Amino acid sequence: MVFNSLTFVVFFACVLVLHSLPLASTTKKINLLIASYLFYAAWNPPFVILLWISTVVDWYAAQGLVKAQRPATRHAWMLLSVVANLSMLGYFKYGQFLLDNCTALMAAAGVAYHPPHYDIVLPVGISFYTFATMSYTLDVYLRRAAPARNLLDYALFVTFFPHLVAGPIMRPTELVPQFAEPHRASARQLGYGLALMTLGLFNKVVLADSFLSSISERIYDSDKIPGLLDAWAATLAFSGQIFCDFAGYSTTAIGAAMCLGFAMPDNFRFPYAAVGFSDFWRRWHITLSAWLRDYLYIPLGGNRHGAWRTYAALFTTMLLGGLWHGASWTFVAWGGLHGLYLAAERGLRARFPHYRPGPLMFVALGVLTYALVNLTWVFFRAKTFGKAWLVLSGMLGQNAQAKPILATPSLVFVTAIVGGIVLTHWLMRSRTLESVVARTPAAALSAVWAVMAFAIVAAQGSGNAFIYFQF
Amino acid sequence: MLLSISSSKLRQTASDRPGVAQPVPMRDIPAQPWKRIAAGTLALWLVMLGAWEWHWRAFGVTPAVRNSDGLWAMQRRRIDSGEGGATVLVGDSRTFFDLQLPVWARFDGRRPIQLAFEATSSLPFLEDLAADPQFTGRLIVGIAPNVFFTGSDVHAGALRYYRSESPSQRIGQWLSMHLIEPIFAFDGPDFALATVVERQPWPTRSGLPALPAVRKLNVLEADRNSYLWSKVETDPEYRALTRAIWLQRLASSDDPQSENTQRRSDQQIDRAAKAVATLRGRGVKVLFVRPPSAGPYLKAENKVFPRAKTWDALLAATGAPGIHFEDYPELQGLDLPEWSHLSRADAGRFTESLHRIVERDFWGIDPAKEAAIYR
Repeated sequence: MVFNSLTFVVFFACVLVLHSLPLASTTKKINLLIASYLFYAAWNPPFVILLWISTVVDWYAAQGLVKAQRPATRHAWMLLSVVANLSMLGYFKYGQFLLDNCTALMAAAGVAYHPPHYDIVLPVGISFYTFATMSYTLDVYLRRAAPARNLLDYALFVTFFPHLVAGPIMRPTELVPQFAEPHRASARQLGYGLALMTLGLFNKVVLADSFLSSISERIYDSDKIPGLLDAWAATLAFSGQIFCDFAGYSTTAIGAAMCLGFAMPDNFRFPYAAVGFSDFWRRWHITLSAWLRDYLYIPLGGNRHGAWRTYAALFTTMLLGGLWHGASWTFVAWGGLHGLYLAAERGLRARFPHYRPGPLMFVALGVLTYALVNLTWVFFRAKTFGKAWLVLSGMLGQNAQAKPILATPSLVFVTAIVGGIVLTHWLMRSRTLESVVARTPAAALSAVWAVMAFAIVAAQGSGNAFIYFQF
Repeated sequence: MLLSISSSKLRQTASDRPGVAQPVPMRDIPAQPWKRIAAGTLALWLVMLGAWEWHWRAFGVTPAVRNSDGLWAMQRRRIDSGEGGATVLVGDSRTFFDLQLPVWARFDGRRPIQLAFEATSSLPFLEDLAADPQFTGRLIVGIAPNVFFTGSDVHAGALRYYRSESPSQRIGQWLSMHLIEPIFAFDGPDFALATVVERQPWPTRSGLPALPAVRKLNVLEADRNSYLWSKVETDPEYRALTRAIWLQRLASSDDPQSENTQRRSDQQIDRAAKAVATLRGRGVKVLFVRPPSAGPYLKAENKVFPRAKTWDALLAATGAPGIHFEDYPELQGLDLPEWSHLSRADAGRFTESLHRIVERDFWGIDPAKEAAIYR
């Protein structure tokens, strides 16, 4: 079920009541585990089997790793986990993509091959929970972590509903130890957790879904040719939409976990105030970028084998990171662009190691970073390269025959909301939300919280799935 | 681990700790009186919600069932659950608002299944029913020329929703129908926050044709029986607004001479012919119905979609019979407050007359005559 649904409101209320009852710690964990399976099954019950497979394979792989004496055996257990998880991901997420590309390749070679269309349904959140379970086996393999002490704690780590389908991508060392002790939220945790959930849902339901999504749709999902203003407005709207959608999900997830007494890591840190792309990736989808860094970039050699190996590792990591987002070459292009940006930034830092920008240049570099990030969003949002080029061409003022598409309110919404988001990120770039909340008068907090809660209800969200569920 | 701090120090994240096991996250709880804040929030929220609800009730809105894909799917599933032999209605807003299910049921004994959707061609739904062997009943296909022959597909996504509806969505639909819709008048797409803001009198962007969105026109019941909202009939200002919107939209409608208009229309007719052939092959009786329109609306429809090239061509291509309101005196002279839909009272009269015609001329006649009609 999605967070922004009536079903979730009822579900979460039941979970909160159940979790606050004076029950034994193990009983509470079993309750949470069952609730998490119900949460997942509410989309498509049979896919719970995939969760079980992922859980059981990695549980036994980690046990095998601990018992194994020889390096080759340890290696084999690690490979079993990686292959099982990636095979599952490969089949459900990339099966049709691979088949389509094979068909195209064969056609290019003059071989006519027409495989059937399989209509493979993508299990929600598979990319997230396979990465979470893989990190468990890999951490044990790399001797960074000890395996979980019991299957219940481990299964709950994999399945815990706040992070299950769209992250933050949790590491076992972040969550499993929390299950070792009884957890119940205090009144303050409950209060702040609910406030965070409201903030997250406000981002998703009001800003992303109600005000911004239709603006990008009108350009990216239509066959009209956009001019300079429309192309930029749609792309900026998408930059706001995807931030509010995904950061909104993470904030809601963190709030939901907090209401139950658990802590989850930050996934966003005001990314549109990033200056440079390494800074951007320390602020955007932090748990994914850290995962890719720890389990892909560093094993590929990281920066330990000279400049060119570093660039190659960086580029490969970002290409695969792009592919992780979706089985389409446009996502690969998105990752590739980010790889190029990171490589260029690295090259510039090496060339000018002592350069420190002044205040104006600092802001200018921030604006440049945001503008270049927006260029990558074009490939992320467009369903085809043809559409991406058309929008890019519009953004460069090259669509001479374009007619106005977006009406005045849409342009006002983009300016006000996206401008507000970027400004907020700059004001908050070196702060935490908590530090600001701590200094705000209680009456003002009540007013802001109530306005957000009212806007959520008045917006009448249609229960649209979060964008990242498809990844 | 949850801490209480009030400093502005940045928390470390996984991005600050490369290549190590990530520790249990530290989450700050700002030092604030959270109980008091929550109580204040709840009170303010209730005041705002009450004011919003009062505002829309004062505007004339009353709590009603929401027109959603979930509600449509509930009706569509009736065919899958033993009502495959029922009378089904597909079409656009005219079929949706003008055909009154209780009136039909009074004469027919059974309430039809209403699957029409406003601003949406019946074609995708016709094709869906053609592909479903469980449907063996009778089918009325409503035709509004500017919707059917353009292939307008505003709500065609309902089919995808019906095929992939999750348990969570089903539960959500039930909860909404029992906990929200019967209580809150503001729960309707016309009163959603973004829609309300968007419909303020913004200056028109230069070069962009004014194409205002259609306002709330109907009221819906749990089985998708629907009728014209009383405000359209009784509030002259609101009625004038709905008419002005039609005029603006009609002014930007298709060029009748355009090859594109004709080609698109022909494509719809071809698809309909295939679907109807499949349905009739299964013994389903298909009947096209063209409900009334009036005034400038009718004039524009006749100009862009002349009857000979659209309605007559459709009947000829499908071989199915049809009832055009212009051919039956009892379907004329009815009240259409905004030119496109019948008033609630006249929708009842229209349904009664239509049912009588259907039974007299098409579905209640002896088999030999019927065979002659269904060529």
